[in-house]
Amino acid sequence: MSAPALSLPHGDGHDHAHGHDDGHGHHGHVTLQYQPGLPLSRGKLIMWLFLSTEIMFFAALLGSYVVLRFGSPVWPLPHHVHLSEPIGAFNTFVLICSSVTIVLALEAARADKAPQAKLWMLLTLLLGTLFLGVKAYEYSAKFSHGIYPWSPRSRVFEKPDLYYGSAVRARLGEPAIIDKLKELDDTPADKLTSEQVAARGRLQQIRKMVTNPDQQPFDLAVIADQVMPLPSAGSHGHSSGLNDAFPWLRLPAVIPGGNMWASTYFLLTGFHAIHVGVGLLVFAILLGYRLDHARAGMIENAGLYWHFVDLVWIFLFPLLYLF
Amino acid sequence: MGNRLAGIFWSLLFLAVPVLGVATFVVGPLYDIWLPKDVSVHGRSIDSLFYFILVLTGVVFVVTEVLLFWFLWKYDAARPNPVAAFIHGSHTLEVVWTIIPAATLLFLSIYQMNTWADVKMRRPRIPPTVEVVARQFEWRLRYPGRDGELGTPDDLFLVNDLHVPVDEEVLVQLKSMDVLHSFFLPNLRIKQDAVPGMKTPVWFKATEVGQYDIVCAELCGWGHYKMKGRITVDTREDYERWLEEIEARQEATQPEPVAEVAGQ
Amino acid sequence: MSTVHSPSTGTTVSPTDHGHAVAVGGRAPRSSRQVAEFLSTYVFSKDHKVIGLQFLFSTLLWFLIGGLLALAVRWQIAWPWSQVPVLGKLFAQEGGQMAPEFYTMLFTMHATVMIFLVIIPILAGAFGNFLIPLMIGADDMAFPTLNMLSYWFMWPAFLCFGASFFVEGGAASGGWTSYPPLSTNVAASPGSGMGQTLWLLGLTFVGVSSMLGSVNYMTTIILMRAPGMTMFRLPMTIWAMFITAVLQAFALPVLTAAGFMQLSDRMLGTGFFNPEGNVVNNLLTSTGGGHPILWQHLFWFYSHPAVYIMILPAMGMVSDILTVFARKPLFGYRPMVYSIAGIAGLGFIVWGHHMFVSGMNPALGITFMVSTMMIALPSAVKTFNWLGTLWGGKIQFTTAMLFAVSFVSMFIIGGLSGIFMAATPVDIFIHDTYFIVAHFHYVLFAGTAMGVWAGIYYWFPKMFGRLMNEFWGKVHFFLTFVFLNGTFFTMHILGAVGFPRRLADAYHYETFHHLQPLNAFMTWCAIGMVATQIIFAVNFVWSMFYGPVAGRNPWNANTLEWTAPSPPGHGNFDFQPIVHRGPYEYSVPGCEKDHLMQTDPPDARAAALASAH
Ligand code: HEA
Ligand code: HEA
Ligand code: CUA
Ligand SMILES: [Cu+2]
Repeated sequence: MSAPALSLPHGDGHDHAHGHDDGHGHHGHVTLQYQPGLPLSRGKLIMWLFLSTEIMFFAALLGSYVVLRFGSPVWPLPHHVHLSEPIGAFNTFVLICSSVTIVLALEAARADKAPQAKLWMLLTLLLGTLFLGVKAYEYSAKFSHGIYPWSPRSRVFEKPDLYYGSAVRARLGEPAIIDKLKELDDTPADKLTSEQVAARGRLQQIRKMVTNPDQQPFDLAVIADQVMPLPSAGSHGHSSGLNDAFPWLRLPAVIPGGNMWASTYFLLTGFHAIHVGVGLLVFAILLGYRLDHARAGMIENAGLYWHFVDLVWIFLFPLLYLF
Repeated sequence: MGNRLAGIFWSLLFLAVPVLGVATFVVGPLYDIWLPKDVSVHGRSIDSLFYFILVLTGVVFVVTEVLLFWFLWKYDAARPNPVAAFIHGSHTLEVVWTIIPAATLLFLSIYQMNTWADVKMRRPRIPPTVEVVARQFEWRLRYPGRDGELGTPDDLFLVNDLHVPVDEEVLVQLKSMDVLHSFFLPNLRIKQDAVPGMKTPVWFKATEVGQYDIVCAELCGWGHYKMKGRITVDTREDYERWLEEIEARQEATQPEPVAEVAGQ
Repeated sequence: MSTVHSPSTGTTVSPTDHGHAVAVGGRAPRSSRQVAEFLSTYVFSKDHKVIGLQFLFSTLLWFLIGGLLALAVRWQIAWPWSQVPVLGKLFAQEGGQMAPEFYTMLFTMHATVMIFLVIIPILAGAFGNFLIPLMIGADDMAFPTLNMLSYWFMWPAFLCFGASFFVEGGAASGGWTSYPPLSTNVAASPGSGMGQTLWLLGLTFVGVSSMLGSVNYMTTIILMRAPGMTMFRLPMTIWAMFITAVLQAFALPVLTAAGFMQLSDRMLGTGFFNPEGNVVNNLLTSTGGGHPILWQHLFWFYSHPAVYIMILPAMGMVSDILTVFARKPLFGYRPMVYSIAGIAGLGFIVWGHHMFVSGMNPALGITFMVSTMMIALPSAVKTFNWLGTLWGGKIQFTTAMLFAVSFVSMFIIGGLSGIFMAATPVDIFIHDTYFIVAHFHYVLFAGTAMGVWAGIYYWFPKMFGRLMNEFWGKVHFFLTFVFLNGTFFTMHILGAVGFPRRLADAYHYETFHHLQPLNAFMTWCAIGMVATQIIFAVNFVWSMFYGPVAGRNPWNANTLEWTAPSPPGHGNFDFQPIVHRGPYEYSVPGCEKDHLMQTDPPDARAAALASAH
């Protein structure tokens, strides 16, 4: 072990190193000097360490997703659950752009161009917000098809069984729905699109079937197909079902594997969205400062975090939308 | 520094650890506090592994603890003119005491694999003798009946009363209806968790006629402690007779209420 | 926290001087400014020493609670369904007798309290906080505010776990492992209601606290070492704390994620851990498609590394204490460092040994068995090096030393029983029996807790400026040592019978009906063990105020904390510490003192001798 090549003012400190305590003469405290092990600032190091804990957090979530997905006998195709690749891809693009703008903000701040840095920062904030907006839109599209992460209120069924039949009957029996249906029946045909007119006819048939106790056994699978047809693997066209024709209808739908899909989808994207939200909060706070050279460290750390959030999405997008 | 008596007292206290430790393992069996009687084929190899590890770790235990005692005894600062050795370590020793345990443990790992494979991996190619469905807080049993096939109308249903023929390979199909349970047969050295949503095969060969406990060994709620069953190992004839008896009893009391829940 | 005290009479530290952080008169604060000052000094202090002591006091109180819960557990096992003294009245149960669901709650909360509110926070929170800056020569942690938060995040956890005893259905009762579907289905057991939710929330807060602490510790150790303090001059305590922090940082987020998934299964009705069409207590669980075993993987992916989180710091502290009282250099410093790292690394790939009979693929069991066996190697290196450290020493039987030596002695027992369980076929029989209970109490209580006591007796003078009473310390040690072996060693043979754990009453089984007398013996020992702690508590509190005043370095130890005043003031050091050598230069031949402190100037003669080795 080599002695340190450091010569620092020793003061009279060594007097103390001998196990006795004379206890006087050293007022205030000395500013200590250190031997850093890495050429990093404390803030940056702790940010890296924090991000590595985050990596493990998302690794656990992604790992669970992989286990659950490949352990499931069925898994819905993106179209079954109204996932749209173009929207997802767009959002990916938005997030990547925001990663670029935060770097530009950092560059500007380093060059002491505070107004410019603020502009880039604002743009990053806007892009992040846009991402969350698109996410919100996607969520609402799921909700409108009865896909929720939580089950008691979920309208997703694994198979068209008795439980499904009674759920359809229950939905059609809700007072609010009965009113709406009456209204629909009374709407003159010319106020509806031709598709809606056809859908109304099918809906009336289904109502007759499920509500009439004397009705011969009927095929719940057919009803399920009317409510929300599942496109086959090849077909990209999304043939519209009753729920698409009348969004307020929200009849229970049959999506094999849909519940597990919803659980994992909302888990992964939800935690990612929370992280995006935290990032936006940080940006908003930073915007309150003058983003000059002195703040470059802060911006850099915020940027590191933001790149990480971006990176997580880069994993999520193909896993959730493409495979 | 300090007095010598203190050193003697404390080092002897540490000597008591290996002495009483070994004594416990000697006295325990005398009071029947030891491995319960083993009545299975797997049990024999599991027990012999247990003894093997017991001896191995016992030797390590005694040697290390006696060394500890000896160093405390010998290098007490209260002895006259103590001198502490100024030693920072020894590469040779370091290597030796890494390699010897490494070799021992590697041997142990390989040595036991066969037993593990016998108990958990080499499933006998026979139809299930019985289906055991665990449920809060009982063991529901389902025998295939005459046709030897589970899931047919002639299945026999029972609760907590498992019978198996002696000296024959038995294949249990283990399921759970609600939460985790664990199918524990102390005398047959069998333990397997019952996991809802999974069918787990369990197999054994009992070697001795008699009645033994079935214990639930995985926490399953407030009644976990009382989830008790019986396993009766019968001779082939007794087993057949018992099956017939059950069959007759079940016919008399059709429809069997248990059937609806256990039969899925 | 007003008990924090410094030697104010006959003291060697002048009160205007280094006193502000820890030293205080016992006067009650009067004006609001004083209140504010009091709050910022003792309650919301950012000083690592105060935070460390806050952790210490909180965890010791929880230790007491955990110990009392253990007694209640033991009572039921020894004399099932008999009247429970005190507790029976407190929880007003039929005729003072324990309900079986109450029993499940007891051991669940016993383990939860002991692990999450005692051992983990006392090691990393109390000792880590107090010692890291002092032993590396820093004035505080890298991020004092974060440090303060890491303590205050424990409070929501304290409240969640504490409150859960009083909610409907009682506290969590799914075992500390919280296996679903028992824990996710409200219908499955009384404690699976609100109690389980609070348990999960509490766990999350402990997780946040540990995460904040661990990143801070790592940053501090990497960036704030005194000049000359190279990584390989760090005392073992700091190495252990560092690697523990790494373990925390990488393992804990997985449990946090799993905790959120279980929480969402419970509150939102997702089905991560629920299989399809599961019926619990005649209720169909709403969503399915998940795997109960997935939780076990995620849980043990954290909780196996966590068992090393719960012992590595104790190993580090014990290594240091052994060298001080053997007056000898640590035997094999670098191998000791590498073996800690090895244990930590291997610790990540052995989690499956808790799941040999869980229904996991048996082929996986084999790989986990091999990796588990291999973890005994770094442990062997440590054990033999401790023995090597004692060999040829000049051993002083102080209380701290006795606890440290007993750590080694007991860890050997706990470790060796691990070999039985690592052997998959043997584990089939002993899994979930008292053999396992024996194993983990040997490593956790007989190991870590004894190490913690060694640490308390050893660093007490640095914390409070006074020494603890040695005589009563030894009485405390002797009785604890005897009773703990009486309680836990016997569990091995109990486990050999197959006596299952977590059973409120196993005597109705023919196989186990004859074991009651042995259990009664163990319970008497446990009662003795807990009663013995009164000696400790009194000694601790009394010595804080009236113990003999300790100088800076009462043990003639080498590490940096002993160059600071006792207790150290704000900023820790009243001079710039500069490190010239490793921490274990004891009994250097030809040197007139028997120890060379890390800061002692590199006197030519001593330096020559030191580098000769
Ligand atoms: C501090 C805590 C701690 C520590 C350090 C350990 C250390 C070890 N543990 Fe332990 N363990 C627990 C805490 C701990 N454990 C807990 C809490 C549980 C139960 C959880 C629950 O279910 O509730 C558990 C359960 C547990 C199981 C699961 C049992 C079951 O449920 O069926 C297994 C199985 O392999 C195991 C193995 C080991 C091994 C091999 C080690 C090794 O690291 C030990 C290595 C040490 C030595 C071996 C001794 C020293 C070495 C020598 C003297 C050298 C020579 C030795 C030989 C050649 C053999 N442990
Ligand atoms: C760190 C962990 C730890 C510790 C220290 C202990 C300590 C003890 N444990 Fe615990 N135990 C566990 C972790 C621990 N346990 C775990 C993980 C389980 C498994 C639970 C499960 O199955 O889910 C378990 C389960 C368990 C069982 C099995 C229950 C069952 O399966 O049915 C039993 C039974 O005997 C038991 C007993 C004891 C006893 C008698 C002690 C004694 O050693 C307690 C002694 C207590 C003290 C000595 C208190 C001292 C107090 C102070 C020092 C305070 C001083 C105060 C001031 C200065 C203010 N424990
Ligand atoms: Cu069933 Cu425990
Ligand atoms: Cu483990």
